[in-house]
Amino acid sequence: MARSDGGNGKRGTEPKGSALYEVLKGIDFEKRELLHKAKGVGLFDLVKERDGRYRCYACTLCERSCPVDCIEIDFCPEFEELPFDVDLERAAAKALQPEIDMKLFDDVIARIREGSGLIEAFHTTQETYGYLPRQALEEIAGEMRLPFSRVFGVASFYSQFRLTPVGKFVIDVCMGTACHVAGAPLVVEAIAQELEVPVGETTADGLFTLQTVNCVGACALAPVVRVGADDTYGRVGPNEARKLVRKLRKLEVPS
Amino acid sequence: MSPRTSGNGKDARKASAATAAGKRLGRIEQALKKAADKSAYIAGDDKAEIRICAGTACHASGRVALREALEKDLAARGLSDKIAVVETGCHGFCEEGPILVVRPEGLFYPRLKPKDIAEIVETSVVGDGVVERLLYKHPQTGEALAHERDIPFYSLQQRIVLSLNGKIDPYSIDDYLAHGGYTGLARVLAQDDPEAVIDEVERSGLRGRGGAGFPTGKKWRFCRANPGDVHYVICNADEGDPGAFMDRSVLEGNPHAVIEGMVIAAFAIGRGVGPVSGYVYVRHEYPFAVERLRNALVQARERGLLGEDILGSGFDFDIRINQGAGAFVCGESTALTLSIEGHRGMPRGKHIRTVAHGLRGEPTNLNNVESYANVPWIVLNGAGALAAKGTATSKGTKIFSLTGKVVNGGLVEVPMGATLRHVIFDIGGGMLPGREFKAVQLGGPSGGCLPAESLDTEIDFESLTAAGAMMGSGGMVVVDDTTCMVDFAKFFLKFTAEESCGKCVPCRVGTTRMLEILERITAGEGTTADIERLERLADDVIEGSLCQLGGSAPNPVLTTLRYFRDEVMEHVVNRRCPARVCRPLIRYTIDKDACTGCHVCFGACPTAAISGERKQAHIIDQKLCIKCDTCRQVCKFDAIPVETGVLAVAEGRQQ
Repeated sequence: MARSDGGNGKRGTEPKGSALYEVLKGIDFEKRELLHKAKGVGLFDLVKERDGRYRCYACTLCERSCPVDCIEIDFCPEFEELPFDVDLERAAAKALQPEIDMKLFDDVIARIREGSGLIEAFHTTQETYGYLPRQALEEIAGEMRLPFSRVFGVASFYSQFRLTPVGKFVIDVCMGTACHVAGAPLVVEAIAQELEVPVGETTADGLFTLQTVNCVGACALAPVVRVGADDTYGRVGPNEARKLVRKLRKLEVPS
Repeated sequence: MSPRTSGNGKDARKASAATAAGKRLGRIEQALKKAADKSAYIAGDDKAEIRICAGTACHASGRVALREALEKDLAARGLSDKIAVVETGCHGFCEEGPILVVRPEGLFYPRLKPKDIAEIVETSVVGDGVVERLLYKHPQTGEALAHERDIPFYSLQQRIVLSLNGKIDPYSIDDYLAHGGYTGLARVLAQDDPEAVIDEVERSGLRGRGGAGFPTGKKWRFCRANPGDVHYVICNADEGDPGAFMDRSVLEGNPHAVIEGMVIAAFAIGRGVGPVSGYVYVRHEYPFAVERLRNALVQARERGLLGEDILGSGFDFDIRINQGAGAFVCGESTALTLSIEGHRGMPRGKHIRTVAHGLRGEPTNLNNVESYANVPWIVLNGAGALAAKGTATSKGTKIFSLTGKVVNGGLVEVPMGATLRHVIFDIGGGMLPGREFKAVQLGGPSGGCLPAESLDTEIDFESLTAAGAMMGSGGMVVVDDTTCMVDFAKFFLKFTAEESCGKCVPCRVGTTRMLEILERITAGEGTTADIERLERLADDVIEGSLCQLGGSAPNPVLTTLRYFRDEVMEHVVNRRCPARVCRPLIRYTIDKDACTGCHVCFGACPTAAISGERKQAHIIDQKLCIKCDTCRQVCKFDAIPVETGVLAVAEGRQQ
């Protein structure tokens, strides 16, 4: 659990002159204030729920966000158990996703060992599977010796990483300024209607995933629709967009 | 020791220092000469070659098929050995892609199809004529222009950073070396005086091209002065602004210029201080830029221009590529460094600057792609040459990506101080036929919209900020009377609200609340109190946000309220959308006199809201109409006018 007071009233047990002693002697633990600071400067405390449990889940965001590194998250033997069953939740989340071929994952592990960062590891994983399977994220966490919460937190922060499987055709509609001015919202809507799924989701038959991207940088061709990694269509109106989807569908399901 | 001998000693020391410097210069010049591969093909303006633009826009409009057709055709004629085909970086004239240029004449062929190739090769490569029908036509006079140099879009620009774009093959380091590449670096390494480099850059008046406009030389000096185990030099190529693609084009067209700029920066910051390490943080959405940069880094390492002991000078520096993952906020310096470390890209307070405490807590120098690409030019041509261009406070040139409803969209590099009118009307060729200029949006989601009255504003950092917009990274989107300014402001706010990292409340909650108010206004449910609320909230968001994403997020709304208040009031008071965009305020009708009953709209309507017999005027069922604009776009007779006013709202509500 998070501690902001450097170990509840342990002052006196630290050897004089040590770095921690210097920090602790500046804190009045009874009044929960920092000594020799302007009035009103206090210490952070953790909020408790009515039943006495801490609300903090130790997600470590505050620790990382602190501009002066004054928060440290440490293991605390008082709270041995997490407020939820990790194994159960993990198993439930894993069951929601299809099995993945772990042989393909060796490449990601190899790259991590070469010293690639977390985000690079995600990119390689997504190139391999088309999305970031939960199992892969757990493997990455294990390999890099990071808490799963941290790995998942980073994966969910960046809009380019997908946490659910994608369809055969990933349709990206550019929503940059030039495309917006040229009528991209109408295009997205037309495709969403044609596919009968909202933006960000995959059709039930697993053929199409509809996404929006912020700018593909082909502004002269606005509005732009990209299918897969490289098939770019320029100057697409709602009517052309519907036709495009029908054409792609026909390729797959000859009716 | 007598004064005389001591004098001699000094002279001797000076002389030996001079010879040492001379030796060093000679050694580095030799190393640079050796770096070039003499057998490689060098692209040149006076050679018989065909250049195909391989920028993203031309790629999307079909350059691969064009190249294949060209190579096939040349092979069939047995010309493959005589005529070189060079795939260059972005020429900048993206509106006209795919582009092909025939050298040495410099014939410019836009918007080509593979079937046009045979005719071009026959006439312009084998013969010495021009294919009149394929030439670029002057947007006003309609006159066919054969040569690149005659086209106003090119001839009115002053290209420094883009000077080699479209001339060299970005995959060939020899092209860059043959065009004077890395000579600036060699000069810097030979002189071996990092402070002098910083002085030079500072004197040139170069300011950060990423948007904020911080003096580059000053930043280097601060970074050098800060102690650390290692100094980091990072290139910010996370061009997140929608509608901006300058950095992408520079990286795609001339990656070595950026690398050279970074090595010079690293030398200026780290020489004699400690080790330096480099990163390029580039968007994952730019696959070509990443690929070409990666290739350029490998080449530079092979030729001894990067890595250990660069050009035998004893200076070490290497660059790694780090790819982003679609987070706009990662363009912010502190978020960017966190993202490289593998964290969520959430900015921190700026009371500790990145130059002191950046990547992994070490002093970090972060510049934009365009800033680095300016550096080799400054070293070669001197600070005075750059300082001679531009205005009193902003020096040099700036690249803008001109897009939207202009005739000639693309990359425009002009000196600071050029007017918006010059860029949009002279270079950009003005508005599309029959359309009227309404506003120009500068600086992406952090900038603002300027009206026609501001067209004579001279572009520099200060004047744009004073007008309520900002330089930003250089996106310039021109809109006409079919764009609703309230809807446009809503678009930007929606973008920033989605991209807010969520760390601080004013930005996370404030932008969302502002978005809700704008949604009310565009739905015809706004009140005048909403406008006041919007202005007050905007001030709070600007004041309270931790980083510049929130600090500039309300700018599009504020400029809209400042310059287009009438249009906003029209939404609020009269429930009308003058541009006929906001759906709850408009309805589609059919002009009975103009409609010929051709049945095209009937077939195109996705909800079967249009009925009517062939050759008789059709009717739109307002209850079924989803206002998707399809019918209006397919109608060849302009028979589907859009109405706006109280009536439309009343009917819309009933639905």
